[in-house]
Amino acid sequence: MSAAVVSLNDAEDEAMNPHVTEAEPEAASRPAAMKFAYASGSRPLEGYTLKRGIGRGGFGEVYFAVSDAGKEVALKLIRRNLDVELRGVTQCLNLKHPNLLSLFDIKQDERGDNWVVMEYVAGDSLEALVERNPDGVPENEVLAWFQGIAAGVCYLHDHGIVHRDLKPGNIFSDEGIVKIGDYGLSKFISASRRSGQTESVGTVHYMAPEISNGRYGKEIDIYALGIILYEMLTGHVPFEGESVGEVLMKHLTAEPNLEGVAEPYRSAIAKTLTKDPEARIRTVGELLTLLPVPTIGTVGNVHKGVGRPAAGAMDAEAVRTNESAAAEARGTSDVIPVAALPEEPIWRAVRTSWHSFTRQWDSGGIPVIAKGIIILGGIYGVLAYFGPLFLVAMAALPIYAVYCIVRVLVLDRAAAPIKTAPIKTAPIETAPIKRRPPVFTAAFAAKLPARPAPNAAPARPSPALTPPRQRAAHGAPAARKIMRQRIEELTGSLLASTAVAAIMSLFMSVVHANTLEPGRFAWLLLVSTLGAWLVLIPGKFWEGRHGEPTLRRLVLMVFGLALGAVAWGLKDFLFVSLHADWRLPPPVTEAYVSSRFYEPDGSPSLLALMAYFASLMFLVGWWKQADPGRGARLRLSPVLVAIFWGWLLSFFWPFPQPWGTMVAASMSLAVQLAATWQHPRRKGAV
Amino acid sequence: MDKRTNLYSPSPHPARGLARPIDRFVLWVDGVGGYLVCTRDEVLIGQPLPEAEADVPILGDLSRRHAKIRRDGEAYLIEPRRPVRLDGRAIDRPAGLADGVSIELGNVRLRFRRPHPLSATARLDFISNHRTQPSADGLLLMAESCVLGPGAQNHIACGNWSRDLILYRQADDLYCRRDGRFQIDGRTVAENGKLSLKSCVSGEDFSLSIERLSK
Repeated sequence: MSAAVVSLNDAEDEAMNPHVTEAEPEAASRPAAMKFAYASGSRPLEGYTLKRGIGRGGFGEVYFAVSDAGKEVALKLIRRNLDVELRGVTQCLNLKHPNLLSLFDIKQDERGDNWVVMEYVAGDSLEALVERNPDGVPENEVLAWFQGIAAGVCYLHDHGIVHRDLKPGNIFSDEGIVKIGDYGLSKFISASRRSGQTESVGTVHYMAPEISNGRYGKEIDIYALGIILYEMLTGHVPFEGESVGEVLMKHLTAEPNLEGVAEPYRSAIAKTLTKDPEARIRTVGELLTLLPVPTIGTVGNVHKGVGRPAAGAMDAEAVRTNESAAAEARGTSDVIPVAALPEEPIWRAVRTSWHSFTRQWDSGGIPVIAKGIIILGGIYGVLAYFGPLFLVAMAALPIYAVYCIVRVLVLDRAAAPIKTAPIKTAPIETAPIKRRPPVFTAAFAAKLPARPAPNAAPARPSPALTPPRQRAAHGAPAARKIMRQRIEELTGSLLASTAVAAIMSLFMSVVHANTLEPGRFAWLLLVSTLGAWLVLIPGKFWEGRHGEPTLRRLVLMVFGLALGAVAWGLKDFLFVSLHADWRLPPPVTEAYVSSRFYEPDGSPSLLALMAYFASLMFLVGWWKQADPGRGARLRLSPVLVAIFWGWLLSFFWPFPQPWGTMVAASMSLAVQLAATWQHPRRKGAV
Repeated sequence: MDKRTNLYSPSPHPARGLARPIDRFVLWVDGVGGYLVCTRDEVLIGQPLPEAEADVPILGDLSRRHAKIRRDGEAYLIEPRRPVRLDGRAIDRPAGLADGVSIELGNVRLRFRRPHPLSATARLDFISNHRTQPSADGLLLMAESCVLGPGAQNHIACGNWSRDLILYRQADDLYCRRDGRFQIDGRTVAENGKLSLKSCVSGEDFSLSIERLSK
């Protein structure tokens, strides 16, 4: 195998520095992104005229060519051929499947180079489709493509061939039929990848972890299928990185983040991306049974691809491999997962823990005496701490209600475009395409009305000096997050910030303010929680985007005004007296505006609280503390800055210290600990 | 020289019989695609039969001479000779073509695009699964100039290129312009240069060539 590695790299080097002969006078000799050894019109291989270069793979170059009789083919140039390489292709020459790119022949030119004569595919590659849909390909299209891909891979596996190089760049659609290319050769390319020298980062995105041990079973194709499915649904691969090594390391160690993927895809992908090949899904058919089934065979019908039994979509044999999973797939296939509003996490936690509690309670595992003690203790606890418990409940319920409303509103908004946009049910011409059970037909027609310019690649903002895939992966990972993912992260952060604020409030109440008066604690908790939320919510929508800092400060200032008003209202609602020792030191502005800043009883007025919080929100660059790209999850300096401003502001606006600084500190800690944070070494991962 | 085609082509521009080589050629862009370029103000769409003499020969179930598309300054008109539908509505007289409109000729569906605001050049994309003969990935009705480059508004979007390249016509000649140095048929030129109908143009991150279509 190592011999193959070395010689392949040599072949590539040579392909990059083509030798110019009389036959190809136009050929330029500098390596570049889209330079080809042979120019249009040259005839290196008898009987074929090259028209243009199509692309370059790990093996060499591919050209579009026309035979003398007019047959259009793709010609793949393999230089410095080794017998082993050719054996790989020869083995595949007579495979027949509608989802495999046909190999016609292998021919040798006068210089001894071998050319693989292949079917020419005019349609887009899956890679182009994914690039056009950076937030994920519409679900029906995903299913239609994936059925075709799976059928082709299943056929290869049935014939004892492992593809080894499945990736969107190798998968095409031609007149609505999925075509998998590059099989046969890929065995040797995969091997050469391990050197990491000649390949771009993009090609290792689909490599199963066991490849590092030299293990090349069918499982690596299953793994690649999982990555491809993930990429189609989300628009990006699960493991991204700046270098080949980083990506490989993630394949070996990191768990994929499946939060942005709905069921049943999530569990199906999880089962394909298992690190241990033994634990992975064994066959393509098994994987398919976990997925909803699109309407295949009815050409041009791109309505919701659901509700059809799984049999027939694949080789019957493959489907039969897991009857129970097939039944499960049928059961879930009526659901369009993306559209469903997921259950609210707090409620789910409460519900499941209550269920497990009652189950445990009823299971008889707990002795009667213990049950009695628990009940008595519970009653005593409720009676003894009724006041504080009631207060906490009263405080928690409004927060929960607001949280629920925001969540429903935002999730609804986020889900709507996902649900409706992709499915275009424009009348589609039913070209006379025969029923081909395992092939992909509908999606090609489906995507055309939506995209008038199939040849128009998406605009790229910067000069294309890096390969497009790489740039797409690393350009602005956060900005590419889909709305749904943001919402999910945000709800998580909001919950976490509440917990952190609760702990900090308790801690500071006891240690700093030397009191455990429930009202004050509740006030501190609510104000710092709300403050943290008011930072986290805009911060989540600002992350990964460039914005005018002053504008952000102003927005936060407006939120600060609201926060001040709420703090004032809560103070009254909770009967908290905040007038203790607040006059020390006396505010600098006291002489001018004291009457407006103090209530008759000496506590700060609504105006003072609003001014205080507005200034605090304006002065501290809060969104930076919520930025996932911040240096560390929790840094001390922002907390100190927040405390400093809180302290400094109390010279200007009356605020009962230490409560003002405590709110600032609690907010800062809650924001930092709760906001999503990307480990710098994993920044590529979204 | 051919009266028949003159009758059939009332435009004051060069008649079919006097077709210059520059009227039709294929632009092969490496890594991007092949494009059938028609430069005349009037093109005939029809079947790829020799006697039809269609400028845009499409392998589809349409008439030998199905419709003509005429450029009039900045505007494009379609003249149906057989049933034509625009966005699903049948037309029986010349009608204007707006950017994005779909054109149905028999069972062939095309989309008319005017992607670049500064150029009158238009593009026809296939919606149905049909193709031209000889095969091309797209059709360009080239006015004075045609822009190739990374932007989606370009006539030919070349995602991996670092900057635009402009093909333009002067009199009966074809030129190409691009910032910096590049090669035309092996010669290094700066900024722009004249092309022949078998030229090969290449630069640090692109290459393209022109193929003359034999009539």
